[in-house]
Amino acid sequence: MDKKGSSIASAFLVILISLVTVLIFNFTGWASAQPKLKVGILHIGSTADAGYNQAHAEGVQAMKRNLPTVELIEVENVPEGADAERVMENMIRQGAKLIIPASFGYLDPALRVAKKYPDVKFEHPGGYKLAPNLGTYWASTPEAFYLMGIAAGKTTKTNKLGYVVALPISFFLANVNAFHLGAQSVNPKVETRVVFTGTFLDPGKEATAANALLDQGIDVLGVIVDSPITVVQAAEKRAAFSVGYHYIGVQKFAPKGWISGIAFTWGELYTRFAKQVMGGTWKSEALLGNLASDYLTVAPFGPAVPADAIKLVNVKKQEFISGKLNVFQGPIKDNKGVERVKAGEAFPVANVGKMDWLVEGIIGQAK
Amino acid sequence: MVGSSLGGFLSGSILAGTPLLYATLGEVISERAGMINLGLEGVMLMGAVVGFSTTVNTGNAVLGVFAAALAGALFNMVFGFLVIGRRANQLASGLALMFCGVGLSALLGATYIGSQIKGLNEIRIPFLSDIPAIGTILFHYDILVYLVVPMAILVWWALFYTRWGLSLRAVGENPAAAFAAGKNPYLLQYQALFIAGLLGGIAGADLSLAVARTWAEWMTAGRGFVAVALVIFSKWHPLRAIAGALLFGGAIALQLQMQARGLPVSPFLLDMLPYLLSLGVLAVWGGARRHTVPASLGQVFQGTE
Amino acid sequence: MGLTDERATGAFYFRREWWVRPIRFIGLFGLAFLVFAMVLLAFGKSPVKAYVDIFSSTLGSTYGFSEILVKMIPLTLTAVAVAVPSRIWLINVGGEGQLYIGALFATWGALTFNTLPAWLLLPFISVLGFLGGGLWASISGILRAKGWVSETISTLLLNYVAILLVNFFVFGPWKDPESANYPQTAEFVNAATLPVVGGTRVHLGFVFAIAALILFYFFLSRTRWGLEMRAIGGNPEAARRNGIPISGYIILLMFIGGGLAGLAGMSEVSAIQGRLRPSLSPGYGFIGFLISWMAGGNPLGIVAAAFLLAIVTSGGDILQMAHGLPGSAVNILNALILFVVLSRQGRKRGVKW
Repeated sequence: MDKKGSSIASAFLVILISLVTVLIFNFTGWASAQPKLKVGILHIGSTADAGYNQAHAEGVQAMKRNLPTVELIEVENVPEGADAERVMENMIRQGAKLIIPASFGYLDPALRVAKKYPDVKFEHPGGYKLAPNLGTYWASTPEAFYLMGIAAGKTTKTNKLGYVVALPISFFLANVNAFHLGAQSVNPKVETRVVFTGTFLDPGKEATAANALLDQGIDVLGVIVDSPITVVQAAEKRAAFSVGYHYIGVQKFAPKGWISGIAFTWGELYTRFAKQVMGGTWKSEALLGNLASDYLTVAPFGPAVPADAIKLVNVKKQEFISGKLNVFQGPIKDNKGVERVKAGEAFPVANVGKMDWLVEGIIGQAK
Repeated sequence: MVGSSLGGFLSGSILAGTPLLYATLGEVISERAGMINLGLEGVMLMGAVVGFSTTVNTGNAVLGVFAAALAGALFNMVFGFLVIGRRANQLASGLALMFCGVGLSALLGATYIGSQIKGLNEIRIPFLSDIPAIGTILFHYDILVYLVVPMAILVWWALFYTRWGLSLRAVGENPAAAFAAGKNPYLLQYQALFIAGLLGGIAGADLSLAVARTWAEWMTAGRGFVAVALVIFSKWHPLRAIAGALLFGGAIALQLQMQARGLPVSPFLLDMLPYLLSLGVLAVWGGARRHTVPASLGQVFQGTE
Repeated sequence: MGLTDERATGAFYFRREWWVRPIRFIGLFGLAFLVFAMVLLAFGKSPVKAYVDIFSSTLGSTYGFSEILVKMIPLTLTAVAVAVPSRIWLINVGGEGQLYIGALFATWGALTFNTLPAWLLLPFISVLGFLGGGLWASISGILRAKGWVSETISTLLLNYVAILLVNFFVFGPWKDPESANYPQTAEFVNAATLPVVGGTRVHLGFVFAIAALILFYFFLSRTRWGLEMRAIGGNPEAARRNGIPISGYIILLMFIGGGLAGLAGMSEVSAIQGRLRPSLSPGYGFIGFLISWMAGGNPLGIVAAAFLLAIVTSGGDILQMAHGLPGSAVNILNALILFVVLSRQGRKRGVKW
């Protein structure tokens, strides 16, 4: 038989083998124990990244410790897009009744899967769309960043602050804006530079960005990417100060220069979600926590932060919680000169998803 | 700290360009010997992960660099076995090598994510580092950065001024003639790949031990492929590769600097320029003998050239 | 142009009984699976359980099987995108870039004409997708036809340019105002979304893929143009002297190949993603190259290879979920399969020196 014939034969054989496999496995099926609740979580990166993913991972681990009958299905490094849907489906087929797609870009795939399985509940961090069985949750971070700004403003020696940010997403812009406003409130001379790496994780680019900022005389580096390790280390290496994000245990990467950080401690929240799903009391809502919530934590301060800064931070924190202080209190102009918030008004933090500008005094491009 | 913007741009380019340059030098050697290795990405990743894990385990970053170089060289031998020993298609072999490198490095590196190392330290040269402005830009780096330009010169000298280099290039231009002249093309090609692997491994180690000082899956983020393009851009010449690496590495740094300055040029359009330039240069000067594609590059596939 | 070599695109050279080759195939793959099993053992995982899980999660349910088909659609299209030009020994490693430009053109159509009904809009953006990929590949075709740049190099370089171009639009003028400044375009309207089969994600792109395979086979073996292509492939000098327009074929075949990759891009963005994002393709263009090459540019072989790679790639999920391995580890298996095929490949060819 010639080339053509043998390809037909090989293709036929492959298909035959697969059909046999399908038949065999359809009869054996999936074996699974029956815990009270199976929870599936998708991570965009590695759970050891001392950042975004580790915070979520430790959250579900805490949930498991609190509720021993919960079984966890955890998948790391799931790319956004087509694969995310498949992974979620696989989890549901394994019996998951609560899915946590822990990355901004999983929202669309999650909504699609949610439509197919109305009895499975989804909780999406940072999402902006709801569905009857999909809720969103996040903590309003600008206030916390304002506090970081205060600490940074009082610790800096050069009055130049910098931020390495993944993408100019509204939430991140709001964070940097708040940071700058906080720093300015205690140190009117500060300027903040922002650089966007264009991706959530690329240690090479983050290091280049960090060094580029440090070369400009900046001595406080903040970071909003999935894993803060690279930037914090870069700052420490050049005797600069650093402000962390996402995870509570970043200080060890910068023992001398650490100022503080904003950490997510999702454990109790996830425990509540699981309990609600198990007890049938779960409902879809857009949950937005704040400094008073147990899932948003200000990390411990480092040795370089002056004591009066720490005191001021605690005072302001209470003012935010009590509602006395607004982060985006007008008048505020953006860095192109356009007035964004009038005097006497305040930009509501709930609208942060629409923020696409940077505050005056910040050098960088929001677009 | 120097606040000069030009300085910042230069030092950013140097930092980002160093791993690119190492990888490119390695690929120049391969391609001059007639082999195009799309698996460079995998080689770099193996170097990065082995370098990082060795440093975590031994506490010695220099040892990490050596281990990384060796790992890269050995990994590249797989490519060598396929394309030299088995005369397999180079492009496919390279891509397969890349997949292998991505998967294997992920597997090996899984337990090292989040580990801390001291990394390669900055080396201050007693007199030079203290020169204002220039000193800070040029003399505040780790050993791998200092060595990269000498390495480029070494590669250039080896390729164009030694008999070995001549034989290597002959194999890349016309293997049959080289064989007729008594050279052993197999051996030369294996040697080229070994050295290319050493350099690729060092490039990866530079990323994980000096630039970022961490390990993340697929942390090379396409730099291996950029290096392949860089080889074309440099017209297969090691010294031109220095400028090329600065430019390509500089593209990242430049874009960041421009953002910091509030300039409205799209970084993506800027990033396209090096590739378009490479194409343009080849299209216009492709005929000139001296700086062009080694005639038997990828001999298996360029039968109709 | 010099003589060609049949090995160049991996065409399998074969003389023996019909059953030897499939058995050899299975033996080869078996070797790859065996080596991977050893890797798994080295990391303390049970290979048997891992393989059982991989196959049962992909083939053991209708859903799993449908997902394999979903993955096969872009893989098949990008593979034929390489196979078509390979008939006259052109090397197209630009599938990735052609895919992206196809998606770009299709997105433009979907966003600009979002009020058209589906029966108009879908064909329109499909044509756009084909056109985008085709034009992008023709650049390389023209450069090659004029003898200026090898298509291997130009398609490779243009990949980067294509991805950057898509990034430019997605981060800039086409960014969705509703998505919190996230780099993605607005969502495609329903009229621009390829319909799916039943409750699965198998979409109309399936028809494109099948059509591409059938047309490829048909044109090659049954038409005059196919004859001329095979003539060029066999002996370009003789073909030229017989008046066959080689330059024309070069550009045409690159255009068609690129167009198919563009269709892959269009179908991914329309049916699977629903909007254009920078992370559109996980390397479909390159995997397509590998598939076409493994299959010797042969339509049925392409289906078989795409099928196998789709299973292995999807198997990464279960490796992670049930076995605690990084999902990326499955790339090792992919690589091993390629290695064994590669090492059998080139044995008999070439100058022996």
